[in-house]
Formats: sequence, C-alpha cells, structure tokens
Amino acid sequence: MRSFIAPRPKPFLSLFSKMWIVFIALMSLFMLMFNFYIVFEMRSFKQGMIDLTKEREMLEVKIDENDAMIGSILRQKALAEDIFSNNTLLKDSMNNLFDLVPDQITLKKVEMERNSLILYGISPTQDAFNFLLAAPLKSIFHTSQTTFYLTKAGWYNFVSINKIMSEDEIRE
Amino acid sequence: MRYVSNLDRSLDKIDIMKLLIFLMIFLVLTFVFVFLLIIPHIKEHRVLQAEHKRVLIHKTRVENLFLERESELSKLKTENAHVVAAFKHPFSHEEFMVYAKKFFSDVSLVEISKGDYKKEFVEYELNVTSTLKTPTNFYNFLEGLNQYSSIVQADFPIHLEATKESITSIFKIKVYDTNVTH
Repeated sequence: MRSFIAPRPKPFLSLFSKMWIVFIALMSLFMLMFNFYIVFEMRSFKQGMIDLTKEREMLEVKIDENDAMIGSILRQKALAEDIFSNNTLLKDSMNNLFDLVPDQITLKKVEMERNSLILYGISPTQDAFNFLLAAPLKSIFHTSQTTFYLTKAGWYNFVSINKIMSEDEIRE
Repeated sequence: MRYVSNLDRSLDKIDIMKLLIFLMIFLVLTFVFVFLLIIPHIKEHRVLQAEHKRVLIHKTRVENLFLERESELSKLKTENAHVVAAFKHPFSHEEFMVYAKKFFSDVSLVEISKGDYKKEFVEYELNVTSTLKTPTNFYNFLEGLNQYSSIVQADFPIHLEATKESITSIFKIKVYDTNVTH
C-alpha cells in the first residue's frame, strides 16, 4: 500500500474535544472562584464577629467603669449638698440668733450644740430679758430655763438654757 | 482555516456519542460543584451572615449605651466640677489656716479623729480655736466654706465667748476626702 500524500499526524484531541474541555475548565474555574469568594466572605464574617465581640466586651468594661464613676460622683454630690446646706443652715441660725438679741441685752458667752443653746449675758432688768429674748427663744425651743444673778451694778447676769427635744423625748 | 479544517473535520461532522459524553461530563461536574460545594457553603454563609448581623446589632446597642453613659458622665463632671475637685483635693492644715486667717486671728487647728465615712470617704474631725472681731466674720467664714477647695463642714458644738475687745470661738469642722480610699 502506498499513499500519494505524505501522512499528516492526527491531533491527539480534536478541535471539538478541545472546545468542550476549555468550556468545562472555564465553568469549573468560575465555580471555584465563586466558591472561594463565598469562603473568603465567610472568613471575613468570622473575623468581623471576633472583632465586634472584643470591641463590645471592651465597651461593656468601660460602661461598668463609667457607672462606678457616675455612682461615685452622685454620692459625692449628695454628701456635698448635705454639707453645704448644713453650713448654710448654721450660718442662718447664727445670724438669726444675733438678730434676736436686742440692744439692751449683752451676750457674754454662747454655747451652741446640735439640740441646745446656752446663753450667758447681762440684762438691765429681768423683764427686759423675759419680754425681748425669752419670748422668741420659747417659740424656737421646746424647753427654756433662765436663771438670774443680780450684779453689784444692779443689772442681772443670766444663764438661759434652751433645748430642742428629739422626737423620742417628746413622745415620752 | 481551510487548512485546519482539512486536518480536523470534527466540527463538520459532530460525533453524537462524543457530544453526549462531554455533555454528561459537563452536567455531572456542574452538579458536583453546585450540590457539594456551593449550596452547603451558601447555607453556611447565610447562617454566618445572620449571626454577624446579630453580633453587630448587639455591639451597636452596647456602643449607644456607652455613648449615653459617657455623655451622662461628662455632664455630671462639668456640673459638679467643684465638688469632684474638692473631694480629690487633699486637706492641708496650712491651706486651711490661710483661709481661716482671712476671717479670724489666732487660729489653731487640732485633729480629733479620722475615720471612714460610708466606706468611700474619709472623715477628719478638727477643733478650730480662733479669735474674731465681730460675728459677721463668722458668717462670712461659713459662707466661704462652701466654695473652699476641700469639702469642709462646720459643726456643733460652737462656743463663742466675748472678751473685752474680741470674740473667742471654738468649733468643730469635719473634712471629707476620697483620696485615701482611691
């Protein structure tokens, strides 16, 4: 057998097969790329969740710190308000006391306690004391006792003990 | 082209069997990818996406709460700047004497006791002995006490005694501090 044409090598894969293989390979590549995209996104979600959780925990710690600080400031504020109002009250009550004392009467000594007031002083007459100072004192305090001593000059030294009773004492 | 088509006639005469085989391979591979890889991953992706969203919402809520507290705290701090600074300010005898000498002469300060007050604060009690010209000085002293750099409360007993030219006063002050406990 002899051929008039030179033998040509037959391609291992026909064009038809090559096209199919390329087509299938492209499809697979596309699928794999899509899959990797999803996997990548899932990984970023996971990382994001870890970051968010860390951030949230940090914020929770900060909230606790802030709460403690807010509480502390509120307690300080309450105590300070209490103290400031006590100071103001003390100032007012001293002011009132000195306003209460008329010009005729001279105070020598004042002892202010939480629930009592002891006044030492000189008055021209017993009546002057009783009308001008004892009356307003009686309206403020629950009990008011005064002792007079006559001085050489004919004036009266007085000791006035005034008390505010606590609620328990009043009930008794 | 002509040369090639002379070589390869596979496109001119399509082999049905080959076509079917390739089609089968294509379909099988597609199904394998879709059912074994993509669908399970998409399901997982959806779950993760929902979870991520939930975590994000939770964090945003906590963040809002944090911002709320932060603004509340800064508001409180600015409103009570004097009080907060006064509690932090350590009480010093010398400084108090400088203040008291504006109103009194011959001031002396004796510490009586030091103790905890409501766990958070330290309470010092001091006796102040002083001489003053008129009771007005005492009012001014009490009035200025609320603006003093430490938290100081004037307290009973208060003893005032008139001498020939001036008034001697003995009274107690309580000083509050947060320094030692924090």
